[in-house]
Amino acid sequence: MRIVCPFCGERELGEFTYLGDAKPQRPPADAGEDAVYDYVYLRDNIAGVMSEHWYHGGGCRAWLKVTRNTLTHEISAVEPAAGAGSAKVGA
Amino acid sequence: MADFSWYIRSPLERALVAGRYGAPGEAGVSLTEIRNFDLVQVMARRGKAAETVNAAKARFGVGAPETPEAVDTTDATLIWSGPDQFLVLSRGGGQRMETLARVFAGLASLSDQSHARALISVSGDKARTMLAKVSSIDLHPEMFPVGTAAATSIDHTSVTLWRGKNRQDGQAVFNLLVFATFAESLWHTMLDSAAEYGVTIAHSEELA
Amino acid sequence: MRGNQANRLAAGGLIDRSTPLSFRFDGKTLSGFQGDTLASALVANGVKLVGRSFKYHRPRGILTAGSEEPNALVELRSGARREPNTKATTAELYEGLEAASQNRWPSLDFDVMAVNRLFAPIFVAGFYYKTFMWPAKFWEAIYEPAIRRAAGLGRAAGIPDPDRYDKAWAHCDVAVAGSGPAGLAAALAAARCGARVILCEEDFVLGGRLLGDGGTIDGLPAAEWIARTLDELAAMPDVRIMTRTTLFGVYDGGTYGAIERVNDHLPVPPEHQVRQRLWRIVAKHCIVAAGAIERPIVFAGNDTPGVMMASAMRSYINRYAAAPARRIALFTNNEDGWRTVEAAIAAGLQVAAVIDGRPDVSPAHRSLAGKGGFPVLNGSVSGVDGGKNGVRKISVSLTGGARAEVEADGLAVSGGWNPAVGLTSHHRGRPKWRDDIAAFVPDGAPPGMVAAGAANGAFGLGACLREGFEAGVAAARDAGRSGSPGSAAIADDEAFSLTPLWHVAGKGKAFVDQQHDVTASDVELAQREGFESVEHLKRYTTLGMATDQGKTSNVAGLAIMAAVSGKSIPETGTTIYRPPYVPVAIGAFAGPHRDENFHATRLTPSHHWAAEQGAVFVDTGLWKRAQWYPLPGEKDWLESVTREVKAVRSGVGFCDVSTLGKIDVHGPDAGAFLDRVYINAFSSLAVGKARYGLMLREDGVVYDDGTTSRLAEDHYFLTTTTAKAGLVMQHLEFCRQVLFPELDVQLTSVSDQWAQFSIAGPKTRDLLKEIVDPAEDLSNEGFPFMGAREVKLRGDLKARLFRISFSGEMAFEISVPARYGEALVRNLLIAGKPFGVTPYGTEALGVMRIEKGHVAGPELNGTTTAADLGLGKMMSTKKDFIGRVMAGREALVAPNRQVVVGIKPTDKARRLRSGAHIVPKGETPGPDNDQGYVTSVCFSPVLDQWIGLGLVERGRARIGEIVRAHDPLRGEEYDVELCNSVFYDPDGGRQRG
Repeated sequence: MRIVCPFCGERELGEFTYLGDAKPQRPPADAGEDAVYDYVYLRDNIAGVMSEHWYHGGGCRAWLKVTRNTLTHEISAVEPAAGAGSAKVGA
Repeated sequence: MADFSWYIRSPLERALVAGRYGAPGEAGVSLTEIRNFDLVQVMARRGKAAETVNAAKARFGVGAPETPEAVDTTDATLIWSGPDQFLVLSRGGGQRMETLARVFAGLASLSDQSHARALISVSGDKARTMLAKVSSIDLHPEMFPVGTAAATSIDHTSVTLWRGKNRQDGQAVFNLLVFATFAESLWHTMLDSAAEYGVTIAHSEELA
Repeated sequence: MRGNQANRLAAGGLIDRSTPLSFRFDGKTLSGFQGDTLASALVANGVKLVGRSFKYHRPRGILTAGSEEPNALVELRSGARREPNTKATTAELYEGLEAASQNRWPSLDFDVMAVNRLFAPIFVAGFYYKTFMWPAKFWEAIYEPAIRRAAGLGRAAGIPDPDRYDKAWAHCDVAVAGSGPAGLAAALAAARCGARVILCEEDFVLGGRLLGDGGTIDGLPAAEWIARTLDELAAMPDVRIMTRTTLFGVYDGGTYGAIERVNDHLPVPPEHQVRQRLWRIVAKHCIVAAGAIERPIVFAGNDTPGVMMASAMRSYINRYAAAPARRIALFTNNEDGWRTVEAAIAAGLQVAAVIDGRPDVSPAHRSLAGKGGFPVLNGSVSGVDGGKNGVRKISVSLTGGARAEVEADGLAVSGGWNPAVGLTSHHRGRPKWRDDIAAFVPDGAPPGMVAAGAANGAFGLGACLREGFEAGVAAARDAGRSGSPGSAAIADDEAFSLTPLWHVAGKGKAFVDQQHDVTASDVELAQREGFESVEHLKRYTTLGMATDQGKTSNVAGLAIMAAVSGKSIPETGTTIYRPPYVPVAIGAFAGPHRDENFHATRLTPSHHWAAEQGAVFVDTGLWKRAQWYPLPGEKDWLESVTREVKAVRSGVGFCDVSTLGKIDVHGPDAGAFLDRVYINAFSSLAVGKARYGLMLREDGVVYDDGTTSRLAEDHYFLTTTTAKAGLVMQHLEFCRQVLFPELDVQLTSVSDQWAQFSIAGPKTRDLLKEIVDPAEDLSNEGFPFMGAREVKLRGDLKARLFRISFSGEMAFEISVPARYGEALVRNLLIAGKPFGVTPYGTEALGVMRIEKGHVAGPELNGTTTAADLGLGKMMSTKKDFIGRVMAGREALVAPNRQVVVGIKPTDKARRLRSGAHIVPKGETPGPDNDQGYVTSVCFSPVLDQWIGLGLVERGRARIGEIVRAHDPLRGEEYDVELCNSVFYDPDGGRQRG
């Protein structure tokens, strides 16, 4: 598999580390145990198109949101995590 | 009481034995370690990317690279190393932390990497062929012309790779910054990969 | 030297008669020529019997001339280089080649196991499952060893392979698999457009079927056209032609696997060279021009040596000038088979008869038969009379019911052609059936891939050239190459008229899969027993599961299944195709990553110095770390380690701790960031101070620990454990980039920038005073416990000092830029000489941390909470941090949790072992009363006995209780006392003093 890193260009799978479902958002500090429980344990495992976190640790160390079809491995979109390249925020 | 002597040991000091290695005949690959350099990582702070680029321009005459490139200036090479960050590579004693801290004060965070990396320069007729064994990057001149840089991995080890100015004989030059504690291991891997083409091994104090 | 190449034709072929080669087969010296394969040389020497079959030990000969060969498998080379199951049909002949036939004992001619044939009725489909079911213990003791001896393929060398293997990447616009007419046309067209092209050919000569079949292209003989094409390709800088290279697998994102047999054609690879190289080719487009495989017709005795595929027979005659037989018969169901008759006649061989399953044979072929004086029989072959010495007589069932016999010593068979659909189907693609050629053809292909020529079902030469050209141009254009491709090469299209014929009923065994000895009746039996799905058929009969993966047998097998189950062939369907297309040695996948190169290694700044001292190293992750430093006369590791510990506790020692992960945390929000990733507060840490920190996972379990120092308002220096260094960096980047993007913080690994040493023992300060500039205040007031700051060393080097202690002694960690690391070690020895300074390794480090009750990897085991480790009070209640909420869950704060406690045997002489289980005294050990286990042990020189740490239920509330240590692994059980985990200096006076 090859992933197009938005910073580095197309790279082979070995440079990346998979984390998983990118949908869950870390709840605010006062959200309570149920919300955190859902965040920690409830994961979608879709046979089809999924939004996933991948880490380009073997390259620029950016965390990426990758939209991937888990059946075909077709990757339709890759975008940086909110804090990757954040020096450009407001610039 | 006498002062202590603080000598420098390159991480490749033991592994690197200058001379001819591998298949006889004209050497297809030259491996040269460059030992005397300063290296500082510059990371723009939140929202300060443009100002950091401009500060680099004010100091070095060229903006810091914002895409995977290596830019030569009169007294340093600026090498892209990730989003909003770059390395300042200079001759030993050239661009020390203290100097650069003033250039980027309030704009970027600096981290000294001078001792964290070994710098290896690979050239020769078979340099690209040899590197294809260890690097997954397409180094064809059309895809990786002079000045292209990549943050990538070799043998599961992070490296910063860039194509320097061609040698005087026109051969391409590929430069690798590898983490110091991995350097000896990677050196042996590269030597093994290059052996069938014949290798010339050297070290130099000077940045090309 | 021609040797005894009795069946070598006098002229012709692509062999180099000026370079004779001698080789050995089963100990017999034979000769061949450069350009031969082992198979063609055996043919030239009149060798018909080359092996015994897998189950029945039937004599087998050479069936094909390519990588689809099921029968002619040999053990190639000898000793450590012996390679089993090598196809004689693709093994290039070289001077001194040694090969041995397989699966026979004591010799190929006289094989005792051929007695298996008498028991043939029990070796039917599913015989393993039916025959050897009971009793179970008989399976391991008797059945399996017996079967393994009787049925099998070649023997592995059993000793390490002395040769090197290599891996490499390649990149191109267009990769072409196969160099027949379609492949050459595709490569040439794409290259002319300006594309970067890689052409892979598994053979050592380019040309594909043109080498065996000849033909006329652009008015030139095929050989001349090939030469012209190769000249043109060779002149283009961005074309790479790779012979002896099989493209074997299609992976995601346009990545293809290929195996290059760099030096398999030599007995030993030249110095510095590899035997094989595994390629990962990244291509925008891939054109599969892998051709087609001629398929057998299944009839009784079809495995007799001398029965050969018609196209293979042509190849031996035309390409290798070797006659597989003197008097040849042809059994065909299509026009193409007749080309073998033409080749035989041209070579001066006799044609005994043509048995053609089709009612209508073309007038041209009838007149050829007339001129040649041989009969054309309309019917099919129903039996073969012959044995290990080859075919003698062929029985023919004529259409209409009459029978005939044909005397011949060779039988060429053509049942039509199957396009090589393997590669195009590697992403679970299913090929589609084409009635006109009675074959499966690709039905689409993975993204970027297309089939051309015979691989796409276009069997005519002209069509192959056209399809190849068009595919080459299309691929190049799509890759953005706009050059002119010129025009396509031109050739005629031969007729390909075929009447499907799969299986001829008759008496005797009719083989479908010759490598696995699967017969037509096995397939019929499988159907009767309900194994009708092709995937079941495959596994029940093992059809297509041998090293050839059924290249010559799969389609015939499912055609027979279709016939007996009353379905059509497309309804019956094909099994899933998976890489690799040809067998690839595991050694090639491993490449250079074996033995000491299995993985990269990391060396500490003091590594070479430690090696000089004779240190014993231990692998921890990728690191080599000094475990202890033996002195002359010390009898074992324990003596050395005990000496090192005592030296530290009574004087001073130092240890390289550079392997700890080190991270610069910068930025205005660095403190706020650390507050969120650690359970305790760091924003409140004063500049110049260090603090021990603990990180949890979001589920509340401890992740990592380490000390972090504040070097400036906006700069923290964080350390991690050695094991988790990379993972913590990844975790922190996740926190920074994904969870808390609003924080202005920057992270850099500085693990390799600093050489860091722990200096410990009551005389630490004495030593430091020698090496640190006298202007620096190292007193308790000037540099208190948990202080951290930059200092100047004598001789004008800046260093960092951290007053932290893992050993429980008065201790500092000192760090200098890594290239000064070795100088620092040597200077520490000089400075510490008056105080008896002693280097110590990880083992002594471990002893002292256990004596001090510090937790490490065995306790931070992915199940423990901060409270379990006795660090629950560190959890801040004033801030949110990762893991805070989940750490409060009921089960994680339950009173009966297993927590860290000290453990020591009541018998001071007894050795405590980690892994021993803790059970209440007086109870029979079992899972119900298991209360935990011993995590870490050491011999404590201070206490003069073995001690340990353990995770024990309510452990800290049971201090003083005597329990049993139950160690079933070592067959031991003994009393131990639960005690305070801090065995040494519980008040901490020594480290603060």
